[in-house]
Amino acid sequence: MDTRLPSGNGQVREARRCAVVFKPSGRVIEVPAGTLLLDAARQAGVSIETPCGGYGRCGRCRVLVESGDVARRDTYHLTADEVAQGHALACQTQVQGSLTVFVEPREAISRRYRPQEEARAAQIALPLDGSFICQPSLRKLHVAVEGPSMEDNTNDFDRLGRDLVREYGVPRLRADLPVLRTLAADVRSANWDVTAVVDDEEPQLPQQWEEEMGETGVHMEGPTRLLAVEPGDTTGRALGVAVDIGTTTVVVYLVNTANAQVLDTASAYNAQISCGDDVISRIIYSQRGDGLNHLRKLVTDTINGLLDELAKRNGIELRDIYEMSVAGNTTMTHLFLGLNPKYVREAPYIPTVNLPPAVLAADLGIPIHPQARVKCAPGVGSYVGGDITAGVLSSGMFRTDKLTLFIDVGTNGEIVLGNKEWLITCACSAGPAFEGGGVKDGMRAIPGAVQEVWINSETLEPTCRTIGDLPPQGICGSGLLGALAEMFISGIIDKGGRMRRDLDTPRVRIANNIAEYVLVKAGEQGAKRDIVLTEADINNLLRAKGAIYAGFSVLVRSVGLTMADVEQVMIAGAFGQHIHIEKAIQIGLLPDMPWDRIKYVGNSSALGAYFALVCREARAALQAVARKMTYLELSADNSFMDEYTRALFLPHTDINEFPSVGRLLEQTRQKGTAAVKA
Amino acid sequence: MPVTVETPTEKWAGKVREITLGATAAEGGTRTSTVTVGGEGTMPFLHFEGETPHRPVVAIEIYDIAPQDWSPILMDYWGDVVNDVVAWAKKAVELGADAIALTLRGAHPEVNDRSPEDSARVVKDVLAAVGVPLIVYGPGAPDKDNEVLVAVAEATAGERLALGLCEQNNYRTIAAACMGSGHIAVARAPIDVNIQKQLNILISDMGLPLDRILMDPTTGALGYGLEYTYSVMERLRLAALQGDAMTQQPMICTAGHEAWRAKESKVGEGVPEAWGDWKERGIAWETVTATSLIEAGADILVMRHPEAVAIVKKTIDQLVAK
Amino acid sequence: MALTGLQIYKLLPKTNCKECGVPTCLAFAMKLATKSAELSACPYVTEEAKNELEAASAPPVRLVSIGADGRKIEVGNETVLYRHDKTFYHQPGLVVRVKDTQSADEIKAVADAVCGYCVERVGLSLNVDGVAIENASGDTSAFAKAIEVVGSNANVALVLMSSVPATLDTVMPMVADRRPLLYAADAGNWQAMAEVARKYKSPLAVKVDCGDLSALATLTEDITKAGVTDLMLDPGTRSMVDSLQAMTKIRRLALRKNFRPLGFPMISFPGEGASSPLEEVAAASQHIAKYGGVIVLDHFDPTLIYPLLTLRQNIYTDPQKPIQVKPDVYPIHEPDANSPLLITTNFSLTYFTVAGEVEASGVPAWLLIADSEGLSVLTAWAAGKFDAEKIKKAVQTSGILDKIAHKRLIIPGYVAGMSGEIEEELPGWEIRVGPREAVDLSSYLKSLRS
Repeated sequence: MDTRLPSGNGQVREARRCAVVFKPSGRVIEVPAGTLLLDAARQAGVSIETPCGGYGRCGRCRVLVESGDVARRDTYHLTADEVAQGHALACQTQVQGSLTVFVEPREAISRRYRPQEEARAAQIALPLDGSFICQPSLRKLHVAVEGPSMEDNTNDFDRLGRDLVREYGVPRLRADLPVLRTLAADVRSANWDVTAVVDDEEPQLPQQWEEEMGETGVHMEGPTRLLAVEPGDTTGRALGVAVDIGTTTVVVYLVNTANAQVLDTASAYNAQISCGDDVISRIIYSQRGDGLNHLRKLVTDTINGLLDELAKRNGIELRDIYEMSVAGNTTMTHLFLGLNPKYVREAPYIPTVNLPPAVLAADLGIPIHPQARVKCAPGVGSYVGGDITAGVLSSGMFRTDKLTLFIDVGTNGEIVLGNKEWLITCACSAGPAFEGGGVKDGMRAIPGAVQEVWINSETLEPTCRTIGDLPPQGICGSGLLGALAEMFISGIIDKGGRMRRDLDTPRVRIANNIAEYVLVKAGEQGAKRDIVLTEADINNLLRAKGAIYAGFSVLVRSVGLTMADVEQVMIAGAFGQHIHIEKAIQIGLLPDMPWDRIKYVGNSSALGAYFALVCREARAALQAVARKMTYLELSADNSFMDEYTRALFLPHTDINEFPSVGRLLEQTRQKGTAAVKA
Repeated sequence: MPVTVETPTEKWAGKVREITLGATAAEGGTRTSTVTVGGEGTMPFLHFEGETPHRPVVAIEIYDIAPQDWSPILMDYWGDVVNDVVAWAKKAVELGADAIALTLRGAHPEVNDRSPEDSARVVKDVLAAVGVPLIVYGPGAPDKDNEVLVAVAEATAGERLALGLCEQNNYRTIAAACMGSGHIAVARAPIDVNIQKQLNILISDMGLPLDRILMDPTTGALGYGLEYTYSVMERLRLAALQGDAMTQQPMICTAGHEAWRAKESKVGEGVPEAWGDWKERGIAWETVTATSLIEAGADILVMRHPEAVAIVKKTIDQLVAK
Repeated sequence: MALTGLQIYKLLPKTNCKECGVPTCLAFAMKLATKSAELSACPYVTEEAKNELEAASAPPVRLVSIGADGRKIEVGNETVLYRHDKTFYHQPGLVVRVKDTQSADEIKAVADAVCGYCVERVGLSLNVDGVAIENASGDTSAFAKAIEVVGSNANVALVLMSSVPATLDTVMPMVADRRPLLYAADAGNWQAMAEVARKYKSPLAVKVDCGDLSALATLTEDITKAGVTDLMLDPGTRSMVDSLQAMTKIRRLALRKNFRPLGFPMISFPGEGASSPLEEVAAASQHIAKYGGVIVLDHFDPTLIYPLLTLRQNIYTDPQKPIQVKPDVYPIHEPDANSPLLITTNFSLTYFTVAGEVEASGVPAWLLIADSEGLSVLTAWAAGKFDAEKIKKAVQTSGILDKIAHKRLIIPGYVAGMSGEIEEELPGWEIRVGPREAVDLSSYLKSLRS
């Protein structure tokens, strides 16, 4: 089926003339019935963007038909409601009668198709999702204690404890020596009107979850620990921080645990990057001389820098922060705690500990309240760490009936499959390609990075959009993914990722014996130099997507299921933020399923750390999740290589796994591929 | 109590594609006989389950120059004919070759660096001398392969030769040459089901019809990876029967080349006594390699020793008998 | 039918107690599904679940063993039709037949040859498993004599072939402790045959004519009821195509339909349909690939046995294990002392790709394959199996030092970051970084030459 409609010239028997009015410009044109709306607009001098070349692929040419008859060949990218309202794709719509058409300003359209980065940076909506109630381990309890007398000569500590039991039901209170040393002065200087800062020793899992998850043994009633005594009633604000230690980026949320409000967030590159881009390089670095200590110091400095930034911006004292909740991958957690990660790397890949104990901030060189504890999310194995358990927690997949595939794509792709009954996980090495690494003009997703690409199927000319609409400097992950998909669909590369050298376009050229496609020429959009995608880059991207999809396949098969059984996909991590689902399916990175079953769950690791900070039950659930997750070691699984090779093709060796892409290719093929050099 | 056993028949959705090598005068070529392979609708030779309309065939491999690196056993057998490609081809047909596999080794830059035009002439000479279909291999140096096979394809347009090898990194030129001149492409993947299928897709995406693509899954000789080839072939055949259109190409295996590269058939001295007689061993090595591949689904066997060819052909007779 | 990991998981306690030795119940279930764990390792499984799981895991092809110590043939317990689906577990026994009409010397010569035959291949000793003695004379004392000649020989497995139960009953005391296979029960003699087999606790072959599987199943049902359960099947087909079809049907029925009456290993006679030893080899190679259990050959000749033993080793190699090549020095295009030296890992695909590209380049070179436990370059590097230390070891122990006169090593482009470390490990060496992709090797090597 040709998705490009013939325009009216000579092809329509009844050349009935129709007047088309374009708003807001008010231009009018008369065309024969059957004329493509896009052509009518062009004849009227109304500009409509068609980055895909009028193939009905990109949806950028949508218009609103306010009145009159049209015939829509394809309503791709439009919902039924939108069609009912009169929306249409100009390149897929024929004029059938006199019309009034509203052409949205270009900005409005590009906003609609912009990946939803802004939406994600917004505040976390409260209440969370119903699963979590604000019931933090860290609490502030105000008591106005009656001072001691000869009649009631109870000691200071028990006196405080007595009121805490009476008013708040706090079980067994305990305190460490530093707290006791200042207690007498603290209570008296406040004239016994004080706020006790306490936290729980052991997390608790609610009964209902226990039954759902078949978990027992985490439920324990522990003592309550007194961290500090503040004068007066300070219960309105109990500060904690949630920290996501990524291999690349560290994110800190400043949280008021009293109401679960995220007050502010800050992020920075992990300073360890100077010692290697990926976890393996860091582990290797940690084995040299003072390497481990140095790496520990670098990440601590990064966190402390962010804490300072937050403190300054919010006018708080670091001492007022009473808890730190951390999520990171196994290597990051090891390095943060100063544990030797050597055996994380070497077969059989064994971490020192999956569930690190809570430790005092002071012991880690973190300058928040010295009694504050740092609690790390537990991991499952060497390549599935606390960041993933935190993600499974915050995504809610551990409580759903639906068979869910959770993925976190970074240098390593971590994948979790399961539902509330069972969870299985694996990690596959995707390489840094999706983060812009190992790619000639790759870069991280920062302003100036090409993040969206369309290629006109006829002219093979690209249309690029950068983050922040700045002059292009390079291509970030989502741009690479988009470029790969577009080069594939437009026939610039074959299904094996090889660039065709017989195409009639100056965009494809050979440099240093390697074929490349020029995405942006120097001067275009203000670019200072050419930005290209080489055949070698394409191979790297293919390998990255192949490894991840192979991971899905092996995981799904390992429990005797098929990809078709998967009911929903959750994408986590920075990469997922900009991911264009349609493009990701076209290259075979994500399984082919209706887009509404694929959702982005944000920085689920940071969110998980945050939930564990503001909710004791979430902390307990983290442990339960870690305990029940089954870790599948792909290097011990021979079928991985087979699935990997299968996935090293566009979209996949078995096109039946990607029916929507198969249809798209068929349409494009019937239209005829790009121009070939004579 | 008598027990009744039902025949456990698998119902297959697909079958192997039929491919004819060689074209007669009526079909635009000059062959006096053609060979059709493929069409199987069952795992090999399970006649209770599906058809095997065409028997596997044996092509005898010859070189355009006297081979430098062949086992003495082979050189002794063939004698002087190896110096005359036309005589060699005729002799091979006399000895039962269903087709001739001609390797243009002389065109290799490090052998005789014979020009594409001269190589094409050699092919024409062999075509003139024998009536059976031809499979023509390039010298084994990618750039030269392309040059030589393009020349051969053009000089022999319409003969429906099989031309090889199309490989993952070098398939476009040869496939295009086949497309333009009515020949068949031999697509070789490195013992990998997925890469084989990918290669078939890539070649067919170029526009070469699927009934003009043969699969060469890469042969491992007995003792040298035979089991990998065996399993890859079984998997390809199963996929074909399950209806995967992109794995339904008939398979061609270079059993002779691989078996005679093995130490067992190449070396006669300083080997364990338990290996037995050298000559017999070499023939047995090629025979077992070839028959095992037939059991795995080979449609065309490219072989070297006529005594092994005779046994293999007899085995094929037995297997296709209903 | 075999259960999947998830199906088994639903029957387990789901407590993740770790007492079975794996971290979660799901992991344990997955191991059970691939038969790499025993249900008895779970202390908390319910009786109900146990029964269900055990019923599902009974082997569809019975494991039958012939012979005692020494060379014992153990066949059966197969779970797949195609080796790529899992693996073939128990390789067929190859035995050589003698007839009691042959002279004692002739018989002894064969028995000695079978007994003494041993050939080494990729580190394993390959042997012929046994001798079949056929009572071709019909005379019991001749049969006994032949058995004595063979039996005096070491511990090869024995197959005693006679259709007369009384004859077997007479000779069995001579070799009963060696648990020979009795061949064969048929429709006419099965009661008495079963009695002999039961008396001496020997495995028994069951034979019908011309691939009549209904008759075969009827017989095995009867014999099983008579108390003999270690059976082997001879469907009576002799031509290659008939054998292939009958043996495929039997294996399929056992595996796909869980059809117990034919859930036994098979015995076959490739020589009986062949007109020359080489044809017998062709037929025997079919039986090795296609479901043979005991293969009785009529010729013994190292020339013919060696290929068959090799084929058996090939077909019964576990395809699930990563394909490795031997860590070694591989010369390509007759390199000399000044030819370049490249190193990579011993994952077979890595090796074949690199070797193929070097070969295609036409540049003579040494390819050094380090032991990375079958991992590819990046995976091996990540897992610490292809590090500076391993590379040093490969260089120093492979024997390459005797072959080259230079100290330049080309490493894969993907591990360029290691070149400094390697230079530390190998003082005096120049480490050159090759291309990342094998496909670029040809131009790289040519550029070295110019």
